[in-house]
Amino acid sequence: MDVWQQLIFIVEGVPLTLSISILSFLIGIALGLPLAFIRVYEKEVGFIVDAYEKIFRGIPEIVLLLLFYFGLGPFFPIPFGNAFFVAAFVLGLRSGANQSQIYRGAIRGVGDEQILAGTSIGLSKWRSIWHIMIPQVLNFSTPGLGSEYALLIKDSAYVYVIGLAELMTRAIQLKSIPPGDVVTPFVIAAALYVALTFPIAFWLDRWGNKRKKKLGL
Amino acid sequence: MFEFLLNPVYQGWLIQGLLLTVEITLFGVLIGLGLGTLLAIGDIYGKKPLKAAIALYVEIFRGSPLFVQLFLAVYTVPAILNIQIDHGVLAFLVFGLNSAGYQKGYMKGAMETILDDQMQAGQSVGMSKVQTLRHVILPQAYRIVIPSWTNEFCSLTKSTATLAFVGFLDLVGAGRSILINNMQILPVWIVVGLIYLAWITGFSKIMDIIYEKKKIPGIELFMQS
Repeated sequence: MDVWQQLIFIVEGVPLTLSISILSFLIGIALGLPLAFIRVYEKEVGFIVDAYEKIFRGIPEIVLLLLFYFGLGPFFPIPFGNAFFVAAFVLGLRSGANQSQIYRGAIRGVGDEQILAGTSIGLSKWRSIWHIMIPQVLNFSTPGLGSEYALLIKDSAYVYVIGLAELMTRAIQLKSIPPGDVVTPFVIAAALYVALTFPIAFWLDRWGNKRKKKLGL
Repeated sequence: MFEFLLNPVYQGWLIQGLLLTVEITLFGVLIGLGLGTLLAIGDIYGKKPLKAAIALYVEIFRGSPLFVQLFLAVYTVPAILNIQIDHGVLAFLVFGLNSAGYQKGYMKGAMETILDDQMQAGQSVGMSKVQTLRHVILPQAYRIVIPSWTNEFCSLTKSTATLAFVGFLDLVGAGRSILINNMQILPVWIVVGLIYLAWITGFSKIMDIIYEKKKIPGIELFMQS
């Protein structure tokens, strides 16, 4: 294969890389936001959140992917027999643990006494979290979310171990096609990853800082 | 279910795997710390071209997965240079270089929280810029940076799981070797996962204790303001 064909073959993996990363990012938001608020406002059950964060910070994604796909897949073919589901599930849970910490920092930055202000004008605790805190917390955490997104793009390379044909898997496949080009596929893959991570993280950081200034946070 | 743990051969593989994981992480974070500090100093004091070069370095190492970098180091670099280098050396190097990309950011952040006033203070008592850096700023920066450094340690340890896929016998490699003889997939990966978890949690705990002992008195108040 010439360079052009290799490039096309690898680029065809980009949609899969992006869909895994974006889906797990969304799962991460859905898990991370509530967990962060539970950790800050429901001190009694905070230890569960702590344990969850510790587990997903302490076990490599590769091991979790292998565990869920090859270990649990045969016993529970639905849902763990599906490689795409396992990828989004594992990376999403891992991201949730990270995002929970990002949001916790943001809650502290926004100032958790705003909940008091909310309840003092008659909103319930969770309503004031939803209407007052969350919009500000999301703005406040954009720089962290930018790097979390970049981290997920990079982590999505691990799904090679469960055989999904995304960027990294395709590069490794090219290496195993004789005569075994070990230069171009990996250079292309690295360049594509940089291209996927850098602009969005940079833009989110910029945008977040602007919003923060505008809102006076 | 977990009988395979009693087999001395498998125990040996797991221990060997853990040792390789630990070794490569520790070397990686230490190389990263040294190089990261230099990069941070260069980024703060350097001229424009140096700053641009450092930004490019950081972008390359932080923008692509360590997994790809490992393949680049182990296969691509020797192929381009047309030489034989020990894979172990290359792996150590790439973990260090990658970690430096991240640690530069942490060091820069830590140095900037203490920099301006103390740099002037140091120079006003007759120390040179380098002396102030060496004796006043860096010792404090290292104490501030410990928590981020612990995080970096955790994520680097997790990344070492990629080593198995370029032919090393790390913990994941040990797990795969056990699976060739013993098809109990689930228990093997649970055990491997727990070993990682124990090592990472234990080490972070130790680092937290060191941080508490060594931290600059009153630093919380300072960081909040």
